[in-house]
Amino acid sequence: MRMSNNLDSLPKKKILSLFMTCGFPTLNQSKKIFIEMLSHQPDIIEFGLPFSDPMADGPIIQEANKLALRSKLSTQQSLDLIKYLSKSKNNTSFIIMCYLNTVRKFGLNKFIKNIKSIVDGIIIVDLPFEEEGAIKKSLSKNNIHLIKLISPMTDKKRSQKLLKNSKGFIYYISATGITGSNKLDYKEINKNVKSIKKMSSVPVLVGFGIKSKKDVIDISKKTNADGVIIGSALIQKYFDIKMDFNKYLKSLKKFILEVKI
Amino acid sequence: MKTYKQPSAVGRFGEFGGMYVSETLMPLLLNLDKSYKKIQKDKKFKKELNDLFKNYVGRPSSLHYAKNLSKYINGPKIYFKRDELNHTGAHKINNCLGQILLAKKMGKTRIIAETGAGQHGVATATVCALFGLPCYIYMGSKDIERQKPNVFRMKLLGATIIPVESGSKSLKDAMNEALRDWIKNVRDTFYIIGSTAGPHPYPKMVRDFQSVIGKEAREQILKVEKKLPDYLIACVGGGSNAMGLFYPFLNDKKVKIIGVEAAGRGAKTEETAATMTSGTPGILHGSFSYVLQDNDGQIKEAHSISAGLDYPGVGPEHSYLKDIKRVKYYGITDKEALEAFQTCSKLEGIIPALEPSHALAYLIKAFKNKHKNKVVILNLCGRGDKDLFTAAKAIGFDADE
Ligand SMILES: Cc1ncc(COP(=O)(O)O)c(C=O)c1O
Repeated sequence: MRMSNNLDSLPKKKILSLFMTCGFPTLNQSKKIFIEMLSHQPDIIEFGLPFSDPMADGPIIQEANKLALRSKLSTQQSLDLIKYLSKSKNNTSFIIMCYLNTVRKFGLNKFIKNIKSIVDGIIIVDLPFEEEGAIKKSLSKNNIHLIKLISPMTDKKRSQKLLKNSKGFIYYISATGITGSNKLDYKEINKNVKSIKKMSSVPVLVGFGIKSKKDVIDISKKTNADGVIIGSALIQKYFDIKMDFNKYLKSLKKFILEVKI
Repeated sequence: MKTYKQPSAVGRFGEFGGMYVSETLMPLLLNLDKSYKKIQKDKKFKKELNDLFKNYVGRPSSLHYAKNLSKYINGPKIYFKRDELNHTGAHKINNCLGQILLAKKMGKTRIIAETGAGQHGVATATVCALFGLPCYIYMGSKDIERQKPNVFRMKLLGATIIPVESGSKSLKDAMNEALRDWIKNVRDTFYIIGSTAGPHPYPKMVRDFQSVIGKEAREQILKVEKKLPDYLIACVGGGSNAMGLFYPFLNDKKVKIIGVEAAGRGAKTEETAATMTSGTPGILHGSFSYVLQDNDGQIKEAHSISAGLDYPGVGPEHSYLKDIKRVKYYGITDKEALEAFQTCSKLEGIIPALEPSHALAYLIKAFKNKHKNKVVILNLCGRGDKDLFTAAKAIGFDADE
């Protein structure tokens, strides 16, 4: 087990977290994508483990999952990919984002054993506060932070419960909706982020629907949030460019440089 | 046996069930649970629902002694619980009426649902027409193709059908899309789930609304036979018609209970929907239960000739009843179901849906020349109109025009 957790020393402002599906579009190309991403040293990289039924994801990440699973990518292969990348990780925090069935089927203890020296945090999309008990315990024993999501539907009383002892950062879902949704309501985001910050001292990152440099700047200027999470927009470029992989790597690089404000 | 008391306050049937959804949905589910608990004690709600059952659905459905089939099998005395006579042709309407009354009470103004066979879609579209609420039905494009009569019915009833192209293009994927819609439209939308699947409180709520089937059957059989049945048999997709029949009998130890799953081309093949015969415990659509999955927990595509059983999961309560051995589950292939579909039509003058044809096939196969002097109730939960084209094609009859 590593002694320190990169998430505990995130910068104070303008935190950038980049999400990408493991094994997309193929395992080899995925490795190149993550190497490119890591070379820009974003504060956080979120590794999505592909799942056949990603209930909370929009069409773009669904498609990425599908492409990754086309070649029967296994959980072990995804974890090995993360392990390989962790050798050159420096200050970037590594987060896994996945659905509970993936962890369950792999075996919780085996899963933790595989990730404990390489990953700083985990988001299990369909593991709500009510069900987290034993899993959270095992994770925290190994200094892996279970990242909490707060949505516009989470009321104050519930937020208080969820945010008690929160670690790493808080993922504020910018709008009710699935990943890749559209509208950003800065007023509402600001109101809710402010209220979260009253209850917790860890950074608050805004995700879902952040698409451009402008969105990133607006979140930073118009709200109290400490950073952003970008996912679908990174993957969307692949389809925009008609799946020409070399062009994609270039456009990915350009985009990351833009959103690093 | 202790009296049966499931699920727990947090929606657990033993270890199965629970609420595995993203944080956006959690507050909604907790609120739904609270509202459902409240209306259960509401006398006005009960009366309203009972009136609709009686005057709109045509309940109680009859308990028919299937004399010719009994003679053919040369085994037990067979009774059909005839929920196929319900308005809209299946048991699904029982649950839809309960849920839409709840939706009204909660002030929701938009209804969504998933459908496989289209029976739940038709039932949802029907209650939406009755209560004047806009209705959106998610349906896999493969199912749209094989359940055309129901697609047209839903359109006539004023529903919007949203074809689902992802995954296997059938029930599982329709449910994914409906859940995504709900996550997007949390404030005004009520999701009417059509089976005893999904996160808590759905498996409990749907079972409760469907248990009118078992309550009636119990009274009816006591009247005609002066005793409880020896066997109950029902088909299991997500498990709602089966739970509806089984639930009021779970404490009657002497009543043996059998659930019949769709084995597609065979429970040991890849083309199956026999979740409890071939699956392992996992998480799908917000609930922990048996699912068809690979070693990495990726959910497999199911296969069945019957769109209503073409689902790689099953309700958590069935998973529990299997594990405590209160209910036994068996698989029936497409071919066997198709034969029973024809046998029942010829012998009883009742064209069953392909779903209960699976239950019929098991009965014919396992009870032939056996269990004489015993009494069986089989849930005839749907009629076959919707399946005529599928069946004609499989049998080799040209039904175009
Ligand atoms: C007639 C009929 N029976 C059974 C089913 C399967 O559902 P359940 O297992 O919830 O009863 C369906 C589903 O569409 C159906 O239409």
